[in-house]
Amino acid sequence: MNIDRRDALAGMVAMFGASLFAPIARAAATQMVPISDGPPIVAVFSPQQRALMVALSERVMPTTDTPGAIEAGVPDFVEKLLADWALPEDRTPILAGLDAIEARSLADNGVSAAMATPEQQDALLTLAMNDALPGGAAFFEPFRQIVLTGYFTSEVGIMQEREYLPVPGRYDGAYPYAQVNKVFSS
Amino acid sequence: MANMFDAIVVGSGVSGGWAAKELTEKGLRVLMLDRGVMVEHGQDYEFDGAPAFAVPGRDMMPPALLESDYFIAKHGYVAPSTRKFYNNDRLNPYAYGEGEKFYWIRPGAVGGKSLIWGRWSFRWAPEDFEANKRDGVGIDWPIRYDDIAPWYDYVENTIGVSGSRENLPYLPDSQFQPPMQMNIAENWLKERLEATSPGRKLINARLSNITEDKPEHGRTKCQYRNQCGRGCSFGAYFSTQAVTLPAARATDRLTLRSDAVVTSLEYDSATKRVTGVRVVDANTGQAEIIPARLVFLCASAIASTQILLNSRIPDSGTSHFDTSGTLGRYVMDHIFRVGVSGEIPGFTDYIEYGRRPGAVYVPRFRNIGGEEGVGFRRGYGYQGSASRSPAAPEGFGAAMKHGMRQYGPWRFSMGAFGECLPYEDNRVSLHADRTDRFGMPLMRFDVTFRDNELRMMDDARIEGEKMLRAAGLSNVTSGRSEHVPGDAIHEMGGARMGADPRQSVLNKWSQAHDAANLFVTDGAQMASISCVNPSLTFMALTARAADHAVKEMEAGAI
Repeated sequence: MNIDRRDALAGMVAMFGASLFAPIARAAATQMVPISDGPPIVAVFSPQQRALMVALSERVMPTTDTPGAIEAGVPDFVEKLLADWALPEDRTPILAGLDAIEARSLADNGVSAAMATPEQQDALLTLAMNDALPGGAAFFEPFRQIVLTGYFTSEVGIMQEREYLPVPGRYDGAYPYAQVNKVFSS
Repeated sequence: MANMFDAIVVGSGVSGGWAAKELTEKGLRVLMLDRGVMVEHGQDYEFDGAPAFAVPGRDMMPPALLESDYFIAKHGYVAPSTRKFYNNDRLNPYAYGEGEKFYWIRPGAVGGKSLIWGRWSFRWAPEDFEANKRDGVGIDWPIRYDDIAPWYDYVENTIGVSGSRENLPYLPDSQFQPPMQMNIAENWLKERLEATSPGRKLINARLSNITEDKPEHGRTKCQYRNQCGRGCSFGAYFSTQAVTLPAARATDRLTLRSDAVVTSLEYDSATKRVTGVRVVDANTGQAEIIPARLVFLCASAIASTQILLNSRIPDSGTSHFDTSGTLGRYVMDHIFRVGVSGEIPGFTDYIEYGRRPGAVYVPRFRNIGGEEGVGFRRGYGYQGSASRSPAAPEGFGAAMKHGMRQYGPWRFSMGAFGECLPYEDNRVSLHADRTDRFGMPLMRFDVTFRDNELRMMDDARIEGEKMLRAAGLSNVTSGRSEHVPGDAIHEMGGARMGADPRQSVLNKWSQAHDAANLFVTDGAQMASISCVNPSLTFMALTARAADHAVKEMEAGAI
């Protein structure tokens, strides 16, 4: 059968390699393209955790000259993926990381992390990335992967951040990158 | 439905579609039966052309459903956008957990695997038909390359095969449409690989994806979307729906019934003829016997074997069609789970525009013309492609986001497909007491890979790495994972061809030794499996068998 499977998630698999977050691997193994639509089958976040998740998703994939994670609907995707695709043990490091970031923000900034400034949130995310707060590294990479996967399978990610060719109609295997200066959606 | 049909074709996949086309075009009134649901060309390709965000998320398959209903299909690339084409493993089971582990990946729709196949299309070489005899393995093929060559011509001209003329004795050229182009990195690799590994080749893929329109069949050339498995409204790849079904329907002599599960064949032992087929309506459970003068069994290698095994002499466990004692034996599948990849230097100003459904092939180079003392018999080829993934910067934020607008380096990856030998005790059989919802005994698999296959997998990994390193690739890595037979979805054998009725189920015309009006023209008939993808050979053998059957009918021999 076909061994050259290149869909949106396969691209994620290639990008993240061996350290792929289990629910994304599970989704990719069956060529699922899980986009948030229906309600999650279980409640994943407390309201405070959810607010922080929304804010941090935007810090991972911020609005620049193209929309960021929030406009792309990534937060709903994160919740959906963790509810429908993840096992309880997959959720644990995400929730623990959010709680650790919250605790650190209260200590350092005196405000809830969701209400902190973008600069403060970036500092908190950097601490997590560098494993400088409890469960930081175990949180950061899976969270980053879910956000990126959600973003690049969204309409914004496919149509705006990347260049979408619904019906290429031809193949050019020596196409100058300079003519598009973007990545083609898969 | 008594006496309405001259012929019944069981199955509507690659082989069944061809049988229906050929028999109707030769004037027969044909009933084609398929156990799966109806899928009409175009209108039933629900997700054809849908961008990723428009593929169900709203009704995405939760893992629970995957584990309950698609636990075998998940090894065969089932997705929400293709799910309708796949078997439901809960409703239509085999004897899971008994015998040896086997993935029987089945379609569940009219068109069969022709809708979801890999589309790589190769001729067998003369060597492939001679290898069993030369090696003293299995049984000699009762046909040679020259017997099938004109039928390859015929089916290739009908379906359209894209590829490059290479004049390789061990991989005969087809009647080709222009090949899909190699990209800039593959062109470089071709030159380097062929210079540094003398005698080995890197050639264009040979695909049933067409590169020129076939207006006579209402088909448009490939649009480079690479979404074939969802069904292609352009009709750009061979499927029953795009090619053989419209041809058969155009004769007004075809009746097609979906949801029709054939459980056994009726047999008259006095005249040694099949008299009809027993069919169960999948929706109502109603069984009936439909008579026919001629039967083409094209249900797939394993399913055809199952139907033959279940056509039993009353008060006996023995099939009418197993006089030889070989029915259900010599089941094979290609080796598959070996992959090699590496980085191609340079060409970083260039990317790919469009998405090809197949790229390049490294044809077999081992043991051609005889054993070379490399520790195993036969050989393997690699399917591969070079491509660039988006850059993967670490961290987060705007710098990462904009960094991902670049591409990473060109990487070339390839996977091996290799020949498995026929072993008498690699067999499928009917379960003694478990049946499915139609009363059909479940299939049990006792098929394993042996030393020859495992050594071949080792060699494919080692040689693949060597070739890519010699060609100048960096960061060359390889992987080999467990191959569960069935993994390659190239399962074949079970009702092999042979000249001797005491040692084979079918003769050289794919015709049952035990019933002159029964033909089995799918993968079940294969006495060995070469290392190339098999579907094109099934098509050629089916067209050849149909021609023979009609001639025999006209001569009064059937």
